[in-house]
Amino acid sequence: MEQQAQDTERDYFTDLSVLRDPYEYFESIRERGGVFRSTLRNLVVVTGFEESVEVLRNTEDFSSANAPQGPAVPLPFTPEGDNITDQIEAHRGEFLGGDLLVAYDGQQHKFSRSILNKLFTPSRLKANEEFIQSYSAQLIDEMVAKGGCELINEVATPFVTLVIADLLGVPADDREHFREVIDNAPPPGNMEADAPPSFDENSPLVVMGTYFFQYVMDRRENPREDILSELSNATYPDGSTPDALEIVRLATFLFGAGQDTSAKLLGNSIRRLAEDHALQDELRADPRLIPAFIEEVLRMEGSTKMTARLAVRDTSIAGLPVAAGTPVMIAVAAANRDPKRWENPEAFDMQRPRLREHLAFGRGAHTCAGAPLARVEVRILLEHLLAKTSRISLDEAHHGPQGARELDYEPSFIIRGLSKLHLVLAP
Amino acid sequence: MPSINVVRLDGSVDSVAVDPEGTLMEAIRDAGCDELLALCGGCLSCATCHVHIDPAFADRLPPMSEDEDGLLDMVDNRSPHSRLSCQLRLDDSCEGMRVTLVEVG
Ligand code: HEM
Ligand code: FES
Repeated sequence: MEQQAQDTERDYFTDLSVLRDPYEYFESIRERGGVFRSTLRNLVVVTGFEESVEVLRNTEDFSSANAPQGPAVPLPFTPEGDNITDQIEAHRGEFLGGDLLVAYDGQQHKFSRSILNKLFTPSRLKANEEFIQSYSAQLIDEMVAKGGCELINEVATPFVTLVIADLLGVPADDREHFREVIDNAPPPGNMEADAPPSFDENSPLVVMGTYFFQYVMDRRENPREDILSELSNATYPDGSTPDALEIVRLATFLFGAGQDTSAKLLGNSIRRLAEDHALQDELRADPRLIPAFIEEVLRMEGSTKMTARLAVRDTSIAGLPVAAGTPVMIAVAAANRDPKRWENPEAFDMQRPRLREHLAFGRGAHTCAGAPLARVEVRILLEHLLAKTSRISLDEAHHGPQGARELDYEPSFIIRGLSKLHLVLAP
Repeated sequence: MPSINVVRLDGSVDSVAVDPEGTLMEAIRDAGCDELLALCGGCLSCATCHVHIDPAFADRLPPMSEDEDGLLDMVDNRSPHSRLSCQLRLDDSCEGMRVTLVEVG
């Protein structure tokens, strides 16, 4: 039985049928248990809700060093012994993205996170809501006037880019340039690259980093009322001042982290609405349901499918022994449909008890720091879109008729989201 | 590093050491008290790190911001001793403080 399951295991990281329908794939592996050892890639896969929370909360035994590169890229060293903490730190620079905040461990993470946690407070988001409101009104009016749009590139991407740019205080002149750099880069977790991805001089994080360095230097001299000033002049909990380069890394990462994920969440939400006119009408009649709608989309089709951890020492997950050096794939998209946690998990139900406990934003120390912003910006755009239309439909000229839809998903093993979403918008 | 007593939802009491360079939420979470959900990771947006603080220690804590106050207004079982643990850093004057976890409403 076990042997047979292994022989038929599809490769999550390369199989394009998995890309089209990751949910069907996750259900097919769920029968192997909420946590199992995959022989295909020599990693441990977690699909259970409880099991995922257990790993995500256990920062003692699991490092995030491999979160950006994913669990399938080989480690930059051969694990030795029952505790590889020192090896991870000695080779951190060789992990792809190992110097990004999501990859930090221990005190370094705690310190950087203490700075980020102050940024998207309710009062700060309220102060910026006016800009988000007026910009989304402008975009939606334009699209409704022309009868439809390609949502991802015409609305979602410029919208999330400008919102974070405005929040951070990126000068208007530089925003367009940032957009181009981001648009031309593959999404995180790219499945199409023939060589392993790298952060070369054209990668968005590197290009933007040089700009952010200038901003940080400037804001240390001339603080203003923006997040960049707050970041640039922040201190660590022990009272020390972070290195300017560290602030540059944080700001750049913040700018990049929310781009694909938020834009794709808009796509996933609006595709669902376009396919369910009764749901549209329900939300139009009572826009106060929109936040619950967003949470249920996050659960069923959040824009992050998985993240990764690396066992630092010999440990276990839900009783399964896991040796130091073992990469772990945490399939949050599978955990969010675990029937042990969610009654009737395949049904879309905005009234679920304790819905916001889904794992679309992760859990524990590395929980998405941008979630408060993502929720606000997606809510506001949906409010405008629903208020200004009587009917949102898929454009069948591009996506085919109902029952035979053609939808292209971004070729990423991390991100779940459409590359294009053509809509017809009736005023 | 002060040690505090955490009263869990089942009534049991755990002694937890609190790193003065981290928050109370982080200390309780990392000590394995899973019922403290802390869903937002300390961003001051979820109120699921809500705790009740020993009144005798209230004046040793940093003051409450408007944002924390506003967020606490949205929880079910707010009391005069309510705080959001992600907003609290403790020093040695908090040694022995009792912190009671609260059911998420
Ligand atoms: C719907 C949109 C989003 C989704 C689904 C999402 C998802 C996630 C997930 C699952 C993680 C945890 C990764 C892990 O534990 O390994 C994460 C981390 C993070 N996200 Fe998001 N994210 C979104 C939007 C944003 C936005 C808009 C920003 C910034 C403005 C942002 C900034 C971050 C940061 C800074 C981290 C790292 C936190 C840490 O390591 O402590 N995210 N995100
Ligand atoms: S952890 Fe979310 S408000 Fe404290």
